[in-house]
Formats: sequence, structure tokens, C-alpha cells
Amino acid sequence: MVLADLGRSITQAVQKMSSSPVFDEEVLKEMLKTISRALLMSDVNIKLIKQLCDNIKKLIDFEEMAAGLNKRRIIQRAVFQELCNLVEANKEPYKPVKGKPNVIMFVGLQGSGKTTTCSKLAYYYKRKNWKACLICADTFRAGAYDQIKQNAVKAGIPFYGSYSEHDPAVIAAEGVEKFKKEKFDIIIVDTSGRHKQEDALFEEMLEVANAVNPHQIIFVMDASIGQACEAQAKAFSDTVDIGAVIVTKLDGHAKGGGALSAVAATGSPIVFIGTGEHIHDLEPFQSQPFVKKLLGMGDVMGLIEK
Amino acid sequence: LFSFFGTLTGGTEITKENLEPVLEKMREHLVGKNVAADIAEKICHGVGTSLEGKSKSTFSGIASIVKSSIEETLTSILTPKRRVDILRDVETAKKQKKPYVIVFCGVNGVGKSTNLSKICYWLLQNNNSVRMAACDTFRAGAVEQLKTHMHKLNSHQKQTGKSATVQLFESGYGKDAANVANDAIKLSKEDGTNVVLVDTAGRMQDNEPLMRALAKLVTYNNPDLVLFVGEALVGNESVDQLSKFNQALADCSDQANPRGIDGIVLTKFDTVDDKVGAAISMTYITGQPIVFVGTGQTYADLKKLNVSSVVAALLT
Ligand SMILES: Nc1nc2c(ncn2[C@@H]2O[C@H](COP(=O)(O)OP(=O)(O)OP(=O)(O)O)[C@@H](O)[C@H]2O)c(=O)[nH]1
Ligand SMILES: Nc1nc2c(ncn2[C@@H]2O[C@H](COP(=O)(O)OP(=O)(O)OP(=O)(O)O)[C@@H](O)[C@H]2O)c(=O)[nH]1
Ligand SMILES: [Mg+2]
Ligand SMILES: [Mg+2]
Repeated sequence: MVLADLGRSITQAVQKMSSSPVFDEEVLKEMLKTISRALLMSDVNIKLIKQLCDNIKKLIDFEEMAAGLNKRRIIQRAVFQELCNLVEANKEPYKPVKGKPNVIMFVGLQGSGKTTTCSKLAYYYKRKNWKACLICADTFRAGAYDQIKQNAVKAGIPFYGSYSEHDPAVIAAEGVEKFKKEKFDIIIVDTSGRHKQEDALFEEMLEVANAVNPHQIIFVMDASIGQACEAQAKAFSDTVDIGAVIVTKLDGHAKGGGALSAVAATGSPIVFIGTGEHIHDLEPFQSQPFVKKLLGMGDVMGLIEK
Repeated sequence: LFSFFGTLTGGTEITKENLEPVLEKMREHLVGKNVAADIAEKICHGVGTSLEGKSKSTFSGIASIVKSSIEETLTSILTPKRRVDILRDVETAKKQKKPYVIVFCGVNGVGKSTNLSKICYWLLQNNNSVRMAACDTFRAGAVEQLKTHMHKLNSHQKQTGKSATVQLFESGYGKDAANVANDAIKLSKEDGTNVVLVDTAGRMQDNEPLMRALAKLVTYNNPDLVLFVGEALVGNESVDQLSKFNQALADCSDQANPRGIDGIVLTKFDTVDDKVGAAISMTYITGQPIVFVGTGQTYADLKKLNVSSVVAALLT
């Protein structure tokens, strides 16, 4: 999955550097080139890559540093620390509280997988014996309500929506009120796909958010996205208070590196990943164990704990 | 006159050494515009090879020589080698008393059904009767999505006093897509519907069973046109998507009738600003033309590719 291949090529690059008889700027340059290439192939944002390389370079002063192992260790550690920074956010994700209504709103680009993931998340909580439900606040996309309805019925999850009301904020508010009264724990609000170039769509997102006052807004990102991710993620994050990211479609071939810029742009952690079209294809994601696993792919374990 | 200047200024040779840094910058620039890394590298390498050893006048720096050479290459990649003229081919099919059949395929959520509906709108505007075949029998709401579009399109036709209509052919969920398409085509032949638009379920390109099912649908129904729908948002994956969709179709077709993707619909073009590199990646891999560009979520948001403006966006 994400970064797995990447981990391998980076580990190799670092190992190659470690085993080179001399260690000078040339060797460092070569290593950074290999790493950049691997990151570029995985769609990682080009600015983030530049930053990563600069940060690593800054740590190394060839004049001052003593020769040998020390330098290499410092670089190895720097490389891995910088990689961790790519997937990690400083913010802790919102933790739903059982016995209270937790309103979670989904936002994202068109077709990124919001509706599917909403159903998956509701199902995830339902299986853990939480009272979970779905609200369809997408009045734009043809068949959107039917999509949620069919998913919900199949999974036995209560849902709310309307064929006649055109204002998503109204539906969202009505649905949340209804489910709060009925003492649901997890109230998930699905919204239409949108993009930063259309102001009206962003205004609508803000209206829905204001109408339901969500505890958490989740930004859904397709793993195959390329260099356009950053600008979109940033625009979403500038408009509403994004608290977490879900990267979808990781069952495919995509490395998901493009979606990582959503972590940097929103300052929010990845909380789940989508790994298929079926309702159980959702996995919790924690960056720490993930990065550790990534690092475990070479014999460079323990570098980071120092 | 030109050669005189050449000798006077000493016409320096373009070498690998002075090309390298310029090409490196160009490659990075293209990747930043969302051209797949591999393809950006190939393009720059090709340009490098063609320029190496040539002499340059001192008037133009290496950078501008490289830039204009890249510009030429990008333009040629985007310029269709073959014209896909759907309206003309529909007319031909009409004369042969059979429906013109288009299959839409691609990975999940890229805009197949929406852009199918936009193309339907365009066909209706041109007085062709259409039948949509609901062959996505998997994704929740897929059938209702097309049904909604059918109602909207027909009421628009009525309001504007036009007579062509669109119908939906559906067999519900869980059915074999190849059979649903076949039934829709058969019915259209019988009732003289001009065009059949076959919507298919989204699938990941390395999901073998689903790719085989798509190839089966295509070989079984032998459509006039197979359109690959890809979104402008996609990064390096575009390469893998297109080559695997193409390959799956080729694997299932017989030697006499090799089959592949006939054209591309590039969607969500309105969401990427100037990061339009996916257009290059997709055409480079297939050599097939971008037949339509999706530029929004309404029926009218369907355009032809403007090659020079895409190239300009890539180079700014
Ligand atoms: N393979 C795979 N497909 C997925 C995954 N998540 C979603 N999809 C598919 O992606 C497509 C789009 O998903 P939707 O949930 O409709 O996306 P959306 O963001 O709600 O779309 P809009 O509401 O139109 O913006 C569907 O075909 C889903 O089945 C995933 O993790 N893996
Ligand atoms: N901004 C923009 N959105 C688009 C465009 N084309 C499609 N969309 C949106 O993308 C989302 C997904 O579109 P669909 O047509 O359902 O995609 P699909 O490929 O049929 O999806 P699946 O059948 O689930 O694989 C919808 O919200 C569309 O409105 C486009 O050109 N621009
Ligand atoms: Mg949706
Ligand atoms: Mg569809």
C-alpha cells in the first residue's frame, strides 16, 4: 500500500550511501536524487519533496562534521524523520464519545469516495455497537440519495434524506436534529463533491457546516491524485475546519503519495484508508505504527528512537 | 544571411553538458504540472537527444531552444493522429440501419456516468435518439443516477421544442453487464434508436476479474467506440490505468480484430488549474486522441481539447 515501494527504494538509497567508501556531497546528492525520484513516482507533492531534500541538506555541514559513520547516521536519521513528517500531523484526531451525539461531516472533491466511505464508517461503528446513522446532504449529484439509501438498507443503518428539498443545509440540519433526538452516537453527514474553482460550492459547504456544527469534518481524498491535491486540500481547509483525512482506493495500484499533501495542507492526520468498494473495506490508520513498519523494511530500525 | 551570422558568432555546439541542467529543470517543471514522472523524463530525454551536437547561434540561449523544442514535442503528442468524428460515424451507422454503440470505461469515480450524460445531451442536440444502457449493475445508485439524467434530458428536450429523446435500458443490479449491453443494443436495432451509450462500473486496473468482465463486455458486443474516461486530477497512475485497460481489451480480442481504447474523455479539467499534465500522460501512453474534455458538472460542460492552450499552460 502507500509508500510501501517507496520505503523500499528509500531504504536502498540510504543503504547504498552507507556502503559507499567515501562520503561526500556527491554521494549525498546522488542519494537525494534517488529519493526524490521515488517520491515523484509516488505523486508526492513536488514542493514537499524539495523541502524534504533541503531539510536534509541543511542538517549536514561537510566541513564541520567528523568523518565516517557519524555523518551517515545523521543523514539516515534525517531522511526518516523527514519521511515521518510527510505522513504525520501534529493534530490529534477527534475521538467520538459514546452515549453522546457525534456529528461527522464528509467533504471532498467529486468522485473521491465520500458517499461510499460514509457508509463504511457508519458500518464500522455499528459493528462496534455504536448507534450510527447516515444523512444525505447531497442534493446535486444524480442518484446520490438512492446511493446512500441502498448502502444503508443493505447494511441495516438508519438514514435521512429527501428527494424534494433542494437545500442541503436544511436537510443536514433536519437530519441531525432528528437523530440527536433519537440518541444516535455517530451521525454522519454526506455532502456533494466540490472543487475550489467554484465559489458557490464552497459557500454551500460552509452553510452545511454551520447548519450542523460538526464535531469533526473529514476530508476524503482519492489515492490516485497527483500534483493538484495540495491546492485543493488547502482551499478546503481554509474554508472549513478539517480535522482528519481519509485516503480511498488504496486497493488499487496507486501509492497514495499525492494524497499525502492533504496531510500537510490541512495539518490533519489520516484516520482511515479505503481498500475496496465493499462496506467492510475500511481500515483504521495510524501514522506512527505505519512509519515504523515502513522503516522496518531495511535494517535501519531504531534510528529514529535515538 | 543566417549562415553568415552563424560563422561570425562562432555557432557554438550544443553539448550534453550544457543541455543537462536545462533539461533537468524542464523535467521538474513538467512533473510539477502533473505530467507523470516517467513520461516527463522520456520527453526531456528525447528532446535532449535531438538537440545534442546541433549548433546554436549565440542569439538564442540553450533554455529557449529547449523550450521551443519541448513545445513542439508536447504539441505533437496532443495532436490527434486520427480524427474521431462521432456525428459522422453515427450518420453512417444510420444508413446501415444499426445503432452506433459507445462503451465508457475507467476507474472508480472519474466521471463516466456524468460525461456519458453530457455526451447524450450533445447527441440529442444533434437530433439523434439515444438509449443509455445501465451496465453498472454493481455500484449503489448507479441505475437511478442514469434514470435521473434521462428524465432531466428529456424534459430539457421538451422545453426547447426538440423531438429526439433518450431512453434508459436497465435490468437492475447484480446482472451480467455484457448481457445487459447486448439486450440494449438488440432492442435499439429493433426500434431504430440511433446511439447506444453503455455505462460500465468503475474498476481498478489491476483487479483482474473485473478487467476480464469489461473485456468480455467489449468483445461480446463489439461497440463502435470504446472511450476511456480519466480524470485530469490523476497523477502517475494515469500511465498504469491506460496501459492496463488497453492491455485487458487487447488480451481478449482475437488477432484479426485487435481491440483497444479508441479515445479518451478527460474529465474534471476545471479542477486542476494549470496542472494539466494528465492530458500529456494519457495521450503519450495510448497514442489515442482526447475526444472530449469534461469541464464541469452541467450538461454543457463538454469541450474539445484546445491543444495550444494546454501546451501554453504546461510551459508557463
Ligand atoms: N476500489 C475502490 N473503490 C472505491 C473506494 N472508495 C470508493 N470507491 C468507488 O469510487 C467511486 C466513487 O465513490 P463515491 O462514494 O460515489 O464518491 P463521492 O465522493 O461520494 O462522489 P460525489 O458524491 O459524486 O462527489 C465508486 O465507484 C465507489 O465504489 C475504495 O476504497 N476502493
Ligand atoms: N468538476 C467536475 N466534476 C465532474 C466532471 N465530470 C464528472 N464530475 C463529477 O464527478 C463525480 C463522479 O462522477 P460519476 O459520473 O458518477 O463517475 P463514475 O466514473 O461514473 O463513477 P463510478 O461509476 O462510481 O465509478 C460526480 O460528482 C460528477 O458530478 C467534470 O468534468 N468536472
Ligand atoms: Mg457522493
Ligand atoms: Mg458511474
